[in-house]
Amino acid sequence: MANRIQFENSCDVGVFSKLTNAYCLVAIGGSESFYSAFEAELADVIPVVKTSIAGTRIIGRLCAGNKNGLLLPHNTTDQELQHLRNSLPDQVVVQRIDERLSALGNCIACNDHVALTHTDLDKETEEMIADVLGVEVFRQTIAGNILVGSYCAFSNKGALVHPHTSVEDMNELATLLQVPVSAGTVNRGSEVIGAGLTVNDWTAFCGSDTTATELNVIETAFQLKPAQPSAIVDEMRKSLIDSYV
Amino acid sequence: MVQYNFKNITVVPNGKDFIDIILSRTQRQTPTVVHKGYAISRLRQFYMRKVKYTQTNYYDKLSTIIDEFPRLDDIHPFYGDLLHVLYNKDHYKLALGQINTARNLISKIAKDYVRLLKYGDSLYRCKCLKVAALGRMCTVIKRVAPSLAYLEQIRQHMARLPSIDPNTRTILICGYPNVGKSSFINKITRADVDVQPYAFTTKSLFVGHTDYKYLRYQVIDTPGILDRPFEDRNIIEMCSITALAHLRAAVLFFLDISGSCGYTIAQQAALFHSIKSLFMNKPLTIVCNKTDLQPLEGISEEDMKLVMEMKAEAMKTVIGQGGEPTDDQGVLLTMSTLTEDGVIAVKNAACERLLDQRVEIKMKSKKINDCLNRFHVAIPKPRDQKERPPCIPQAVLEAKAKQAAEKEKRKTEKDLENENGGAGVYSASLKKNYILANDEWKEDVLPEILDGHNVYDFIDPDILQRLEELEQEEGLRQAEEVDDDFEMDGKELTPEEQQALAEIRKKKSLLIQQHRIKKSTAESRPIVPRKFDKDKQFTTRRMGRQLSALGLDPSKAIDRARSRSRGRKRERSPDNECGDAMDMDVDTPNKKLRMRSRSRARSVSRPPGEVVPGEGFKDSAQKVKAQKLAKKSSKKRNKDARRGEADRVIPTLKPKHLFSGKRSTGKTDRR
Repeated sequence: MANRIQFENSCDVGVFSKLTNAYCLVAIGGSESFYSAFEAELADVIPVVKTSIAGTRIIGRLCAGNKNGLLLPHNTTDQELQHLRNSLPDQVVVQRIDERLSALGNCIACNDHVALTHTDLDKETEEMIADVLGVEVFRQTIAGNILVGSYCAFSNKGALVHPHTSVEDMNELATLLQVPVSAGTVNRGSEVIGAGLTVNDWTAFCGSDTTATELNVIETAFQLKPAQPSAIVDEMRKSLIDSYV
Repeated sequence: MVQYNFKNITVVPNGKDFIDIILSRTQRQTPTVVHKGYAISRLRQFYMRKVKYTQTNYYDKLSTIIDEFPRLDDIHPFYGDLLHVLYNKDHYKLALGQINTARNLISKIAKDYVRLLKYGDSLYRCKCLKVAALGRMCTVIKRVAPSLAYLEQIRQHMARLPSIDPNTRTILICGYPNVGKSSFINKITRADVDVQPYAFTTKSLFVGHTDYKYLRYQVIDTPGILDRPFEDRNIIEMCSITALAHLRAAVLFFLDISGSCGYTIAQQAALFHSIKSLFMNKPLTIVCNKTDLQPLEGISEEDMKLVMEMKAEAMKTVIGQGGEPTDDQGVLLTMSTLTEDGVIAVKNAACERLLDQRVEIKMKSKKINDCLNRFHVAIPKPRDQKERPPCIPQAVLEAKAKQAAEKEKRKTEKDLENENGGAGVYSASLKKNYILANDEWKEDVLPEILDGHNVYDFIDPDILQRLEELEQEEGLRQAEEVDDDFEMDGKELTPEEQQALAEIRKKKSLLIQQHRIKKSTAESRPIVPRKFDKDKQFTTRRMGRQLSALGLDPSKAIDRARSRSRGRKRERSPDNECGDAMDMDVDTPNKKLRMRSRSRARSVSRPPGEVVPGEGFKDSAQKVKAQKLAKKSSKKRNKDARRGEADRVIPTLKPKHLFSGKRSTGKTDRR
């Protein structure tokens, strides 16, 4: 199921949280309601950790991770690193990497098997991603945007990309990721999918501005409900045409 | 997209208020004081300003009225016609035209009177002209007062019109009065339209909104229509006709098959046929209502025939849209708003047919090509044999299974927060959920800086593992060593070996001793460069011996060699060469070769008491004389301890007489 939530009146929930199949990181907010939205959904299954990264709350944009590991930017403090190591299970490798592009969440998009990265990342970083996260790494752009982490979101079951991605690009991405790829928006037409949405294999959280149509596209694309992603083409087609054209 | 919002038209004041507003504004915003004695150009200018200012204000006010009221020809034809039906287009246009004429008249009056004021020759005449100008302007406004009042009424009425978007997905409900149109809209939306058991309860259009397939639909409830010639229809009916004519909507034609509305099926069918031209190109559904009173099957033969006729007409709309002629689903439906039987089916059928029609139109548009990717799901082609399974924890699957049964609510941080004082008061511990080997370690405090070092630089996440490895290695080595020691034990040596060992040790100690002795000579400083004296043989003693063997006295040579030895660098070289250097200076003035810089001969000082001539004196004698005279002149004064010219003086910096008392401008430095 996908949930609609808000972080202190901001709908960019992907900025303030990082959701993977093995853990969930949540920014430290003024009240506990954002954290509790994740807690209620996930805390029985995976650790939900309140943390800051480099003293900021935009943790979703600064770190990248999957069930195998977590990559942190070089400006993460020692205390934060230690806090994360203490809070995450031992099988998750927490690694701070020395990369010039420190917003790793914007530059890296990954699931448990494949990662797409910014084209200008260091060679060492690329190796580090492959080692720590245990993924195949591809340097890619999404609809001409080099910030792949911002403009797409994917799990092991589906992917949602920038609404202007061409059909050919979507097919290419599908082959790379080996999951069905759909194009869409979040938060009432926002193109920054990564910022408005955070998703893993069984649940998703998106901004509270997300419309019913968008939410349904998200749920179908990530197979959060019994329907297959092809439902976007079959059942939802008419609604989508009427709302977009 | 044009937004049809008539709610923010500014208020139109009535004639009297209008005049008051403008005149009081002129009074407040222009100068009011004038004198007879002023130059005539100034008087003229004073009154011209008043006239012009009044005119500008009138112009602005009237212009806002003209601009803000919608022009019936420019807005969507639905609104254009609706406003025509409600307010009569001619009357409306006439009112706005009158306002426009008034605006032009006022401008003309102002222009004329300003021209006349140029010839005004006294205050009185100028004033008379101004009064006449303002008076005529107000008269013009007074004459259009009825138009202003009419426009104000229209404005108030328009602000209350429902916000109908003519371009969105719309469902239109129409039919005879009292057939259950409003009941239906109340069932499917939250419009809350008044429902009463008499005809024409609904007197205007009402809007509600409903959802179908993630999309929002606008549902419009129209007043009932009677079957009579177009010209005889009243305003209430005309609202319905306008909506039917101009909105591209799905039409629901309501039919009361029980006849409890007071009209027979035949009458209703006649109405249907008289307005069927309005249903062209619209998905039309015939809804038989009030089945709780009279099921469709129970009606008489001829009535059934009429219903089927209507259905055939409605089928034409399906064919018109390219649908299958045999597909009669959603064309004739039955329902009962009382028992809510079939209500949702009617709504769904109407929405579905409207959606189909809109999609078909949109598929033909060019814009669809920009969005094609949005309706595409890229299905991956396998690129290798690797399995990439999703990773869903077992607990989630179990929870999902359990959810069906029942789910106990978890106590979240939010609940804790609310219990403990709310946001801003409650502060949750970040360490609460640490996953550590021992739960007691959770709240342990770790210093960040210890002895000037960052503690975290020394933390190794794998330290325990490494320690274990090290210990294992150590254990292995120790085991090996135990084996080695066993072999190396001295007791196991034979007497010859023991002797050899003793020999080796003795030699070793000898070597060490020798080395120590070598090191201690001359503080182990090399006297001859080491590379020439590997065995340290070139000593002074040996040199002495060698020199004496040659028959020379070695004492001086030894002395010199000693004194030149290193280790006393800090001191100046002894002066045995100094005498020579002094001598040598004479021939070699080169500074670099000189050992020490020579002293300069000191110039002779002036003897004390000598008087140097100068300061305007011819010679020392004259100066001495002058000094004497000066001393003599001050002698008496000094003796009496009186003030002289050489004494230090602080003058009065702020003399009181210059800074106190009343002063007018420019008096400070003249007093």
